[in-house]
Amino acid sequence: MKRRVGGLETEFGLVCVRADGSRALEPEQAARELFRPVVAMGRSSNVFLRNAARLYLDVGSHPEYATAECDDWWELVAQDRAGERIFADLAAQANDRLAAEGQDARLHLLKNNVDSAGNAFGSHENYLVDRRGEFTRLPRYLLPFLVTRQIVTGAGGVVRERTEDGQDGPAQFVFSRRSDHMWEAVSSATTRTRPIINTRDEPHGDPTRFRRLHVIVGDSTMSEVSTHLRFATTDLVLRAIETGRALPELALHDDIAAIRAVSRDLTGRAPLPTAEGGTTTALEVQQRWLDHVAPLAEGDEQDALETWQRALDAVRTGDRSWAAQHLDWAIKERLVAQVAERRGLDLGAPEIERLDLAYHDIDPGAGVFPALQRRGMAPSVLSEERIEAARESAPSTTRAHLRGQVVAAAQEHGVDHVVDWTTLRLTRPGAMPVQVLDPFATHLPAVDALLEEIRAAGIAPDAPAPPA
Amino acid sequence: MSQQSLNAPGPGGDDESGDETVTGGQTFASAQAADDLLDEIDAVLESNAETFVRSFVQKGGQ
Repeated sequence: MKRRVGGLETEFGLVCVRADGSRALEPEQAARELFRPVVAMGRSSNVFLRNAARLYLDVGSHPEYATAECDDWWELVAQDRAGERIFADLAAQANDRLAAEGQDARLHLLKNNVDSAGNAFGSHENYLVDRRGEFTRLPRYLLPFLVTRQIVTGAGGVVRERTEDGQDGPAQFVFSRRSDHMWEAVSSATTRTRPIINTRDEPHGDPTRFRRLHVIVGDSTMSEVSTHLRFATTDLVLRAIETGRALPELALHDDIAAIRAVSRDLTGRAPLPTAEGGTTTALEVQQRWLDHVAPLAEGDEQDALETWQRALDAVRTGDRSWAAQHLDWAIKERLVAQVAERRGLDLGAPEIERLDLAYHDIDPGAGVFPALQRRGMAPSVLSEERIEAARESAPSTTRAHLRGQVVAAAQEHGVDHVVDWTTLRLTRPGAMPVQVLDPFATHLPAVDALLEEIRAAGIAPDAPAPPA
Repeated sequence: MSQQSLNAPGPGGDDESGDETVTGGQTFASAQAADDLLDEIDAVLESNAETFVRSFVQKGGQ
């Protein structure tokens, strides 16, 4: 597909502690505190916002933000960052309320993927693909790319190996901790046996035309450059697969063994057995795909290719000077090394795990990532204005524009409404739902009529602004 | 779209000459920034790091 719609779902970790670090509220109670203003506004902990994103509480008390449909990957990054701000504000409000009640309790929202007991939660990428296209051959080509992509877009982290008798082994820095939580290459499960590609077929659009590719192997990324690369490179690889032409034959013998090996090999050069009986390496797979898709890149996709190449060069040469200021894994690698040296710590020390959590803490005041950004040690590609605007404005070039208009109008006029990814309707008796099955639709007479109906039914044109 | 400069670390930064041509003054400034940051991080790590980590347990998500 030339133009592709994509979206990013982020599950956040949530912890509420006392000043001494001990748990103040159970996750369920903490989530209730966090969502109080959302429930007050939408009478539900599952709402669509003015920017057409979905904000809700997922399984395991994980607050989740799903961006609206984007067809531009910088817009997607802006929408994702807007979600962090929305949740950071909700956390700040909850903390103010708890403090006002005199409670020794503070919420932290962590944009990461694993808690200290090893429970994993996700960062799910969605890509619209053509129903008639190449879905059956897609995993064969996409999997080697996804297995090795972590050397570019991994969030980095420390894992502690287990010895054969179950004791703690040595700790080491890896490209992605999530790799250890992947159990299958392709399946329809999400929680039980987590696959790299999830085949759940919910297109959120005309099912005769579209499929949704659900990639659940990604790490939650703090760096805008890392998040952008996840989408820009995967989109190019999908486009190459969709051409129907010959592709790099890099199928791996064992995707799950490979994903764990790649995560632990910071040189990118460890041999990976291929399905055909040879070997390849993470660097080779990524470089072959980069070279293969290069002729397909247009406009600002050239910048993405250049950045992708820089990322591979950082692994190939070991020269981290660029990567350590731009890519999550390398920023974190440097930080962890500095802190471990300064404090004389082993990588497996609890302080290093605390540092990892602080890196992913979305609190603009307390998080380590924003502190790195303020000092120019992590990228701030998008302007403040753009990120703030994305809190209120839906992407204008997809169906999200219609949903955003309806939610904004309904909120302004105080009209009860229910929307989801494809349907818009008012909740009063007899109201007819409007279905928008084309994810690229930005104008529909039925939506104009619905907006007219909302204005006519409106009771309070200057209702107070919602919390998000 | 996108006029963003991917390779600039700071907002509006546009160092076309690449990252390697840092002058002595800038190197000093960035070393200072790194030290400041590590001081800030020390404060986080010194307050009950291990207890905080143990408190962060949730059921898995998707």
